[in-house]
Amino acid sequence: MPPLAEEVEPKENAAFRREVRTWMEANRPPDPGFKLPQSFLEVESDRQFEFLRDWQRKIYEAGYLGLDWPAEYGGRGDPLKRQRIVSQEMARAGVPFLVNVIGLQWAGPTILVHGTEEQKRRFLKPILSAEEIWCQGFSEPGAGSDLASVQTRAERTASGWEVTGHKVWTTLAHQSKWMILLARTDPQAGKYEGLSYFLFPMDAPGVTVQPLIKMTGEGGFNQVIFDRAPMSEEALLGRLGQGWQIAMTTLLFERGASEGSGGGQATASAESLRRVADLAGRARRDGRLAAEDPVLRDRLVQLWITEEALRLGSLRARIPALVAERPQALRMMNKLVYSEFNQQLAELACEILGPETNLWLGDPRAMDRAEWPRAYMNSFGMTIGGGTSEIQRNIVGERVLGLPKSK
Amino acid sequence: MYPQLPVDFGFTEEHELLRQSVRRFLEERCPFSEVRRLAADPLGYEPGLWKEMATLGWIGLTLSEQSGGAGLGQLHLALVLDEMGRRLLPGPFLASVLAGFALEAAGSDAQRRRFCAPIAAGELLATLALGEPGASWEPEHVAATAEPVEGGWVLRGLKTGVLSAASAGLVIAPFVTPDGTPALFAVELPATGVAVEPEIGIDPTRRTARVAFDGARVGREACLEGPGLEGLRASFRRGYVALAAEMVGGTEAVLELTRRYAIERKQFDRQIGSFQAVKHPIVDTMVGLELARTHALAAAVALDQGAAEAEVAARMAKAIASDVYPTAVRRGVQLHGGYGFTWDCDVHFYFKRALWSRATLGDGAHHRRHLASRLLDDPTPA
Repeated sequence: MPPLAEEVEPKENAAFRREVRTWMEANRPPDPGFKLPQSFLEVESDRQFEFLRDWQRKIYEAGYLGLDWPAEYGGRGDPLKRQRIVSQEMARAGVPFLVNVIGLQWAGPTILVHGTEEQKRRFLKPILSAEEIWCQGFSEPGAGSDLASVQTRAERTASGWEVTGHKVWTTLAHQSKWMILLARTDPQAGKYEGLSYFLFPMDAPGVTVQPLIKMTGEGGFNQVIFDRAPMSEEALLGRLGQGWQIAMTTLLFERGASEGSGGGQATASAESLRRVADLAGRARRDGRLAAEDPVLRDRLVQLWITEEALRLGSLRARIPALVAERPQALRMMNKLVYSEFNQQLAELACEILGPETNLWLGDPRAMDRAEWPRAYMNSFGMTIGGGTSEIQRNIVGERVLGLPKSK
Repeated sequence: MYPQLPVDFGFTEEHELLRQSVRRFLEERCPFSEVRRLAADPLGYEPGLWKEMATLGWIGLTLSEQSGGAGLGQLHLALVLDEMGRRLLPGPFLASVLAGFALEAAGSDAQRRRFCAPIAAGELLATLALGEPGASWEPEHVAATAEPVEGGWVLRGLKTGVLSAASAGLVIAPFVTPDGTPALFAVELPATGVAVEPEIGIDPTRRTARVAFDGARVGREACLEGPGLEGLRASFRRGYVALAAEMVGGTEAVLELTRRYAIERKQFDRQIGSFQAVKHPIVDTMVGLELARTHALAAAVALDQGAAEAEVAARMAKAIASDVYPTAVRRGVQLHGGYGFTWDCDVHFYFKRALWSRATLGDGAHHRRHLASRLLDDPTPA
């Protein structure tokens, strides 16, 4: 399949793209000889983590991260488009992902919006250099889709705050220096008004990180238990009681509003589609290549059409007259469509593999190291995390279409 | 693979002004009561309105200026058809647009001068006959034949589902010539040996007919002089994109009807739109619509830019519109409940338009089959 077309771009961007492309080819890290994670959701071992951290640092030092962040905080003050070019070229080159995704994509942009000058100077640059890794403390055992029912408490002390509670699905918690933490500061106040947003130091006493094992059998996912864990006065982001509003800012970034700001775009659908098309040309089933099966061909093209619609939609979204019916629709539906698309693509890859899909991690005969069934299972991280697809439909229905709230 | 597009989609103030003027005009002149009246009217359109549209320059919108048209692009047309699709404007607009594509693609200067100016002026109603029984919607599969004779040609074959043919004064249609390639012919109606028999169509806001060429003798000048195969291919390509734009407009209208009903209608003391079983399918309609609209716009831009892979874009636009519109009307009828099942509820008009549009110029499965070849069998870089 031919290379993907990009939009016709101005000369200076095209030149920058060529520069990045050349750099990625020249600096692609060698195969480490051990299994690398497919995404930031499953960084298990120290050696995996260090490999990925070194890679991010190298990209930052080459000047390809934080392009759109202000220069005084370690960025370069360039247009966001330049950072997108880097993300696209990383996907194209098939190089490892950026391990500090939560810092780059969620925490960093939130601090840029809500942080004090001091917080911006303190936190942003080490996010880019991967010196300080971030995790997210939002979900709890009793607060998943209904995030505002968070019970973890932050109580005033003489010198700051003390946290007690239980967070789950805490990706990268064991490698993190910091956590963006949503906690209840006023149990008497309303469900939303009683919440505040903190930048919590993971090395505080009273913090226990326990691994959770995902359905793939892999770790990287954790729960964090806080037992009167202290943090300073300065840990508060924004105002007291503003936690829900700031958490919504983070979720917007998490769901793709920032379109890869800082450099945190996790994956690239177009690359995956090309790779599944390539897989169909290698995998044999029913006595022929999967690429010769009319049903599989049809389904692959359905996904190709969706993938092109997503890519072209990001261009269309920038022209207000072409989104006049519902100016927020494309942005608000992005997470839903993108995560469901990835899941369908991974599932289709498993079907294309036929019986080969039944060989699992560790079997040397597994095609592409069992990447495809593993990707299918991992895809649920995206359709559930950051607000399930069902919650996304509620949000789009209520905020974009003005449908009445679901009780 | 997919055509390169300008970042701004080539969208200008001029596009916006056109869209606004069409929207205002149709709001005023084509309320749903008028659609219902014309659906039952023998002629099926309002000649006065048609004349006005000609005066406004819309009928000749994409015809070149030297042919007497406005010389505007496919994106302009997409915006106009989107608005017409929303209002279900009955009449020969699509027929006329398709005929214009063929004349522009294959007509000589003289042929274009002869036909295009009266078309643009609303004096000559033209149509393009692309369907045949068991049609494949591909230029390679034309079955009707043209046999050269002294001073002209003899045409034989049956064209079906020809838009507005009973009102048309000019029908353009492809016929296979003895060398095995199709050529486009422009035949003025009525003509000896050409029988136009109206069909009773599923969509009462469209009028179609079968046009039987039973050894019809036409002069040499009836054959459009440009390359038939390429002209036909270009007409199809532009037709996919035009119809997709109209389908997107229809989907928009159905979404709005369904959305409003879900807000107004109460059961169990609640607005039914508060039930997720109602809310989520409406959201899915919106999501499909947005994806389809992106493709309809992008394909129009690809054609305007003369992109090398405009065919990929055009097929994608028709394929996704052909899935999204019928799904939207299915949900639209269902979510209107018992009322949705009645003649009184407007949704069934869109339902029928959606069925007709899906089956015309190739449905999703048809275009995906062709796209699959491009994706999987032909790995040469674009």
